[in-house]
Amino acid sequence: MELSRREVKKAMENAVEIVDLWYRYRQAEKQVLKHINLNIERGNFVVVMGANGAGKSTLSLCLNGLIPQLLEGELSGSVTVAEQDVSRQPVQVLARSIGLVFQDPETQIFGRTVEEDTAFGPRNLALPEAEIERRVAEALELVSLKGYNQRNTSELSGGEKQRLAVAGVLAMGPKILVLDEPASELDPQGRVDLYAALDELRRRRNLTILVIEHNVEDVSERADEVVILHEGEIVRRGCPADIFRKVEFLKELGIKPLPVSELGWELVQHGLISSEEIPLSLSTAAKVVRELAGRRSQPSAQARVTTNGPIANTEETPVLLTVSGLVHRYPSGQTAVKDINLSIREGEFVALIGPNGAGKTTLAKHFNGLLKPSAGDVIVDGMNTRQVETAGLAQTVGYVFQNPDHQIFAVSVEKEIEYGLKNAGLGQQEIKNRLDWVLDLTGLQEHRSDHPFTLGKGKRQLLATASILALKPKLLVIDEPTTGLDWNGTQDIMNFITELNRYGTTIIMITHDMEIVAGYARRAIVLHQGRILCDAEPRTLFTDTKVMQEASLVPPQMAGLSRDLADLGLGETFLTPVELCQGILAAGRRLVRVPAQIQVPAQGEEEAGC
Amino acid sequence: MLNALAKEPLLYRLDVRTKVLGFSCLTGLAFIFQNPFYNLGLFLIAGISAFSARMPVARIRTVLIPLLPIFFFILGITSFTYPEDRFHNAFSRLTLFYLLPGQHLGASVGGMLTGLNFLFRLLTMVLASSVFTLTTPIDDLLQFLQKMKVPSELSFMIVTALRFIPALDKKRIHILEAQKARGARLSEKGLIANIKTYIPIMVPLIINSIQMADALSMAMLNRGYGYTKIRAGVRELTLRLEDYLSIFLILCVTAVGVYLRYFLHLGFL
Repeated sequence: MELSRREVKKAMENAVEIVDLWYRYRQAEKQVLKHINLNIERGNFVVVMGANGAGKSTLSLCLNGLIPQLLEGELSGSVTVAEQDVSRQPVQVLARSIGLVFQDPETQIFGRTVEEDTAFGPRNLALPEAEIERRVAEALELVSLKGYNQRNTSELSGGEKQRLAVAGVLAMGPKILVLDEPASELDPQGRVDLYAALDELRRRRNLTILVIEHNVEDVSERADEVVILHEGEIVRRGCPADIFRKVEFLKELGIKPLPVSELGWELVQHGLISSEEIPLSLSTAAKVVRELAGRRSQPSAQARVTTNGPIANTEETPVLLTVSGLVHRYPSGQTAVKDINLSIREGEFVALIGPNGAGKTTLAKHFNGLLKPSAGDVIVDGMNTRQVETAGLAQTVGYVFQNPDHQIFAVSVEKEIEYGLKNAGLGQQEIKNRLDWVLDLTGLQEHRSDHPFTLGKGKRQLLATASILALKPKLLVIDEPTTGLDWNGTQDIMNFITELNRYGTTIIMITHDMEIVAGYARRAIVLHQGRILCDAEPRTLFTDTKVMQEASLVPPQMAGLSRDLADLGLGETFLTPVELCQGILAAGRRLVRVPAQIQVPAQGEEEAGC
Repeated sequence: MLNALAKEPLLYRLDVRTKVLGFSCLTGLAFIFQNPFYNLGLFLIAGISAFSARMPVARIRTVLIPLLPIFFFILGITSFTYPEDRFHNAFSRLTLFYLLPGQHLGASVGGMLTGLNFLFRLLTMVLASSVFTLTTPIDDLLQFLQKMKVPSELSFMIVTALRFIPALDKKRIHILEAQKARGARLSEKGLIANIKTYIPIMVPLIINSIQMADALSMAMLNRGYGYTKIRAGVRELTLRLEDYLSIFLILCVTAVGVYLRYFLHLGFL
């Protein structure tokens, strides 16, 4: 009896206990973490959210002792993980209990082959050979990399590398798994696979999981608890159902709400539902709209949706970019893209989408001559990229890369922007004019003399874009502009790109984020295995289930919802919450609220519960 | 027959100690010869190893091409700065041409050959080290260092550095592309202009490499590196017949090299 009580007590114990934790990086002015008190129960799935710079990654580093053991600073308070005081145990010892998966898999893979890499941790623990083999096999199976044992790690795709990083940590046999934005660079299918692997882990090993994530969609139905950090403090903790319904609150803190919740919020604003009825899943959202519509059938009028602006591909608009018969082979002989034929007219806003490794970046790098065609031609504004070097194309084609830190080198924002202008050989006065123009346009004027690395990631991304825009390119290619950015940063950069497009700049945007495509692009080109699979308006693409499935794409929530509600006759496919709400209102007079029929699901049902 | 073809190339199967011996002997020989023809021979040996290890030609190219400017620089410097009287052979003492009127700043045959010798020496070492890292699992290397009683802190540094090179090279390519997209012309004439154009590459590279070094050491600790002094090895290091044969071959080549250089006094300029 005594034993079983102890067992029960042990089972009830927390996996993580943080008491009054404060931390300041060495040489930093402000505390990054302030007054953090957090208990995580064993076996729970906890999500930590917050804007860039809120202290999420710092918190994760405190959990396995890397802070303060490797990254020194001023720390107070206590962190206990799996009953071990983090300040008293070396990181390597803690690694047996808590595994940390970082954002960038590139710096976490050590082995030549998948098997060698997965075994790296167990070998460090000097485990017997049979145990190492067992752990490697189990970890690889859990992350769906079974059979990849002898594959060279340098040949893996982004998604596979990320799953290998998880396997490497799992093979250490931790009880707690901490993942810092593990899916930020993955395609939609990659995200689905990674989170499915986490579900499997929970089911089989009862792991305690803590995930830092910007994307609510991936976690809303998985999380037991959500912790929101803001400027180093926990501002709210609770069950997902409570927190994700507070749409305005999330937006204020730089967290993107679920599109279905945004729709709910729009409906609340129009007095159609109460805030407790804001849906958190597609099925509930469909139910809410159906209830609103009553069961009456024939529509009085179909709603017309406003698209993301006029499509510029009319016959009169001049063609800016022509790609004909493009083939690109890597030096290894592998074909990266083939049979690419497309033309893009001035003023278009094109999204280049497709799974990881589909050839999106390879294709885009041909537009400014960074890559030369193995066969075929790329003509930009009358120039054949085979004959003009990249520097010569820089004033016509601007290319903003995913990581702003790959280009920032100057000591001030102003000097960073000047670099491209000087390369273009512009005069002093022209440089000054363009500098003022772009600083005003991007809102970076107040940071003019600041050192670029004192700015947050969102502002650095904006600076990278500004330094390209100062060249006033006709065509702007922008690679994953929102990766790793919080909701505010995402909106800043997207609004800015939209504004540019309105003034005539042609935009080609590479992205994995279908909500962004739905919200901003007017044309979507889907690449799959190096070929163009589909070239259509996003609205048309998202209803083409065959193409979406073939390219492993997941439609935005509103497109999915529109499909589910097709029988209501609301009109076309809606892409954004605002559009769908407008659709509901337009069909409006007959949409009568039937309060008695709307039922918020009970806890644990379709909705995210506590 | 088919099985034999599908088998891993010999260099992958050899014991890490055999490879370390081979690498050391090749490097040692590269340093005792002054004559480029001998170092060309050593370079060919490194080249044959690279091909037998099925090292992709593209990889060899990416390793060697960035070094080209340095090669020409070395060749230029040695041709004009090595005085004729430094050389023992009459042929090496010949002057090819003078850069300035009045027989000033002459380019000697010996100087040029010395430059070529440096080149082949460098190429041999770069290629041999690439073959070594390509064919040797990190586990074998760690085990070797452990056997040599190298402190774990030092082997931590060696492993991080080895892992660092390919990751850093990827960064270098990204940075180069980002700056080219902003109109950077990296083939400006003149040394000063060249240094100036490389600042926008070097600064982000240094910043990124610091971030990456941090990330790599965090990831290694996170995977328990240094948990115990003794790591579990993938396989017990054992010398097999093919190792003994390879060691015999390596020692023969080394002996021939030493004989040519110190007993027959060949390989001079």
